[in-house]
Amino acid sequence: MDILRALGCRTSPKKALPVYKEICALAVFFLLLTPIFHMYRITDFMIFCIFVMSFDLLYGYLGLLSFGHVLYLGAGVYISVLFSIYINSNPLLSLLAGTLGGGIIAAILGLIVVKLDGASFALVNLAFSQIGYFLVSSTFQKLTHGTDGISSRVEAWGFLNVSNEYITFPFILISMLLVFYFLRKLTSSPFGVLIRSIKENETRVTFLGYNTFLYKWITFLVAGTIASFAGGIYTLYVQYVSPTVLNPLDNIDPILAVLIGGAGNLYGAIAGGLLFMMMKDWLSSHFAVWQWVLGVVLLIISFWFRRGFTGFVMVIRNYQRKRTVTYDQDGAQG
Amino acid sequence: MVESLVYGFTLGAILYLFSIGLSLTFGTMKIINFAHGMAYTLGVYFFITFLRVFPGMFSISVFLAVLCMIPVAYITERFVIRRLYGESLDYAIIATYAVLLIGTDFIKFVWGNVPQQVRDPVGLSISIFDFIIPVYRLVIVAVAVILFAGINILLRTTITGKIVIAALEDDEGVRCLGVNVSKHFSIVFIFGTLLAVLGGILYAPISAADPYMWLSILLIAFAVVILGGMGNLNGTFVSAFVLGIIMAITGRFWSQAADTIVFVVMAIVLIFKRRVA
Repeated sequence: MDILRALGCRTSPKKALPVYKEICALAVFFLLLTPIFHMYRITDFMIFCIFVMSFDLLYGYLGLLSFGHVLYLGAGVYISVLFSIYINSNPLLSLLAGTLGGGIIAAILGLIVVKLDGASFALVNLAFSQIGYFLVSSTFQKLTHGTDGISSRVEAWGFLNVSNEYITFPFILISMLLVFYFLRKLTSSPFGVLIRSIKENETRVTFLGYNTFLYKWITFLVAGTIASFAGGIYTLYVQYVSPTVLNPLDNIDPILAVLIGGAGNLYGAIAGGLLFMMMKDWLSSHFAVWQWVLGVVLLIISFWFRRGFTGFVMVIRNYQRKRTVTYDQDGAQG
Repeated sequence: MVESLVYGFTLGAILYLFSIGLSLTFGTMKIINFAHGMAYTLGVYFFITFLRVFPGMFSISVFLAVLCMIPVAYITERFVIRRLYGESLDYAIIATYAVLLIGTDFIKFVWGNVPQQVRDPVGLSISIFDFIIPVYRLVIVAVAVILFAGINILLRTTITGKIVIAALEDDEGVRCLGVNVSKHFSIVFIFGTLLAVLGGILYAPISAADPYMWLSILLIAFAVVILGGMGNLNGTFVSAFVLGIIMAITGRFWSQAADTIVFVVMAIVLIFKRRVA
């Protein structure tokens, strides 16, 4: 080892970037995207990225594949729209109502689903997402106007003028960065280590004396709440909602995005969200029948590229390092 | 009420035919097979095409459609499912969902988006105590019950069946005995798929064929399999008929809620069930 050090090779793990630098880099990156795409497209991308990050917490970190995460997005959207119509038109309050409402739904359903494993977990979530779609499109038809959809009545409050693009864009960007910061801190905390251990081997974590049910429930709750937060933001931005936000067929979107980006990595979630939305935009504007492309991409990923885009980047980086004879044990989690 | 009950039995029969393949695939290979929905839909479209070529010949069209699905099932099994044996369950779910997406778009591309109707092949109705019941529905129930008996006999008498029963208990153990399970599993997979195709074709005259017809039955069948116990064949039979009857009775009073009541029942059972397989 001393010889290596003398030759100038790094033997200690590289210091990770401080979180504030990462956040600045992300902000600059999203601002640099604005000349390329329309601003409203990027706002869409950012909302979807928040949603994908919440899904990544559940799937990438905790290892529970949910086929019904769209339910919490839709719950956030519907609750904040209904709040703005019937109770208060303040945008921040309706955002808060949507987030809390979705969080409460996640807390209650979490008690049922979290005790299930693998297959049953995925399918029961899918079933709940179908129930949610049914509730808004048919049971509460008087409240939600069924498939016609409803418009929210969010009004400007202070500086927060929701119909001005130059206000909503930075607002949503800051929201996304806050979510990123929160999840970054959460996943690198002891709690984050614990949920990753549950992913690796739940039995051992139980033997160590942890109540895994509780930790899984908390993670499910946090993921659901953040998804509802994304829904609440979507309401501020779009101000119209129809049951299509709860379409059970859309449950594949966050899964595909996380897999494209690389599961278990927040950068992966953001990269995957962006790549997925760009792909979807491009395909749906050029072809009438395009879902099969998603199918082919999914097959390729699940056969050969299980670590996604970030895994691919890691492989290239490690390859370059090997060529310069460095012995970096940099945590390549993917 | 009697009509509802008969309709419930019909639904239960279709659900059973569809779920048995899912249950077998999960029990033996530990794979949740979304591609089952693709086979179901594609089989119905093949059937409709054959019915146009041979007008009026229902049974020949059924036979040809089921025959055509054998290579499709084999390709799915050989090139997607077999790659995922023993791998993490997530990738199996995702890959079979991918097959489903591709299959659905293939159907949309070839046959279009418009729902297609199929005429009731029997067309007769019998009346029991003033209740008018289409004979065709009774035929479906009879087919399901006969197949249930047939499947049980096949599983007990053939070597593949015995291996499958053993693998449902302990697939590691069967592998350790030196049995080449993959061949038998493909037979079971194809058999399960063909049953689903048959179910879809039998159901087509009652409903209509459209490219997304798999969605509701797939969700309900997952509920059937979860409630009956994954890999438990008799449990699947019972829960399919129970859920079918619950759906039919709910549908009589509140037609839109028929699909959703299944998930409500499932949620209630899951709350009170301690261990779920």
